[in-house]
Amino acid sequence: MSEPRVVERFKKRTIWFHWIHTAAFIVLLVTGAILFFPGIGAPAEGGVTRVIHRIAVVIFVIAPVVYCFLNPRMVLHFIKETLTWGKDDIEWVQAAPFYYFGGDEEKMPPQGHVNTGQKMWQLIVLGTGVLFLVSGAVMWFLKDIVSPGIFQWSVIVHDVAFLLAFLMLLVHIYLGVIHPRMTESLRSMWDGKISDKYARSHYGKWYEEISKGEG
Amino acid sequence: MEISRKDFLKASAGAAALMLLKPPTSALAKESQTKDGMAMLVDVTKCVNCWWCYAACKNYNGLPETIKPDPEQPPPLSPDIWTTLKPIKKGDEWHSRKLACNHCTDAACVSVCPTGALSYNKLGFVQYDKDKCSGCGYCAEFCPFGIPQMESNRITGVAVMNKCTFCQDRVSNGEQPACAAACPTGAIKFGKRAELVKEGKERIATLSESGTEAQFYGEKELGGLHVMYVLDDTPQAYGLPVNPEVPPPVLVRDVIKLFGVGTMIVVAAGLGLNYIIARKEQMTRELPGGKNTKKEKRD
Repeated sequence: MSEPRVVERFKKRTIWFHWIHTAAFIVLLVTGAILFFPGIGAPAEGGVTRVIHRIAVVIFVIAPVVYCFLNPRMVLHFIKETLTWGKDDIEWVQAAPFYYFGGDEEKMPPQGHVNTGQKMWQLIVLGTGVLFLVSGAVMWFLKDIVSPGIFQWSVIVHDVAFLLAFLMLLVHIYLGVIHPRMTESLRSMWDGKISDKYARSHYGKWYEEISKGEG
Repeated sequence: MEISRKDFLKASAGAAALMLLKPPTSALAKESQTKDGMAMLVDVTKCVNCWWCYAACKNYNGLPETIKPDPEQPPPLSPDIWTTLKPIKKGDEWHSRKLACNHCTDAACVSVCPTGALSYNKLGFVQYDKDKCSGCGYCAEFCPFGIPQMESNRITGVAVMNKCTFCQDRVSNGEQPACAAACPTGAIKFGKRAELVKEGKERIATLSESGTEAQFYGEKELGGLHVMYVLDDTPQAYGLPVNPEVPPPVLVRDVIKLFGVGTMIVVAAGLGLNYIIARKEQMTRELPGGKNTKKEKRD
């Protein structure tokens, strides 16, 4: 047997964007968590972490904007993909527990470029992104303009977005890096490629599409 | 690859264990919170607008001095002004209410402070450790009286809060707060809260007998204020809210925090369980003779 065939899953710039965005988000998460969870606020004393939070958010916002300019079609596709839900997704949700625990592949409907779970994560990323930015902008720039009530509810919105994003990030990291069956997930975000075989079993519909394109 | 994955797992497990070991000190726990302890009684009928409280506060706390303010234009609270007067005109006279932190028993600021810079002193008042302030400004936004004052840079967000500390150093050493010590007429009286409540109510009775419509403020508000007022007009006239309350988002936030810690634990446990089960299943599958023996191995 020679080299196993590989297919390109992510472009280099997408990978760069993913990791820059990840780094910024982790910094935001940590500097935010110390203000949220009780009893771990000590590092925030003096306010340095709040400045770091603001520097990180600038990167967190600029990175996707730059990416949008570079790849407007890919971004539109990403948004469309995230918002398109169908019968396959219901079947996926029903079959997923058996697959993720027991490795039962039988009932899993073939998936497109991303599966239903990944779409959920993309939805969380987009949704909490909007919540974070709106509530954060109120707290940063409109503090002296809006009423205390609006500020207070912005804090709550920021909290809820934080929890959602944090929990789903745990799941995302777990599935991407740790889950015994997701053997090529991390690699695909590293060199952009996955093996033919992995593509066929994990993203059947997508694999068929790209094979047709080649043939 | 296999090794780094193992290390990663170990590190994650360690981090998770640490999170579980560290008991989340509940946002709801309110150490040494009490409506008793020491308090101040402010009697507007005894105030003669001398502004000595204002000057004494600035002097003791090392705040920049100013000339004696004009009651027509009373200076608002600011990072440099921790106590001021709220004068109202009654007939030809100015009647003034001292305006500063009311040191609530149920203090919204203490609930929302993420670093513990604001906390309850065992003597009842809200003590403040400026070195711990992160400058988040939540206290200023959640205080029902609008007391905390932020010194802040709008762009970088670097900030620090200022407010009346109840002269915590003096009071802890058995002295009176500077404003109370300076007051020449007894309009600001410092003492045990229970005694001051009694005294305030007696004063109201006396004033009412002589035909003044007097009101006592601070006995029940926000669990009991540690600065209470004898007023000869409505609270609103003196800039005090009727039935102030801890803003509902504070309670919502406490619930979200508890819920958050709970779901973190559940999700972490769920993922751990999934790993154990899925790993076992995968190993059975990879046994010699299993259907995907070699190809799954990476790199």
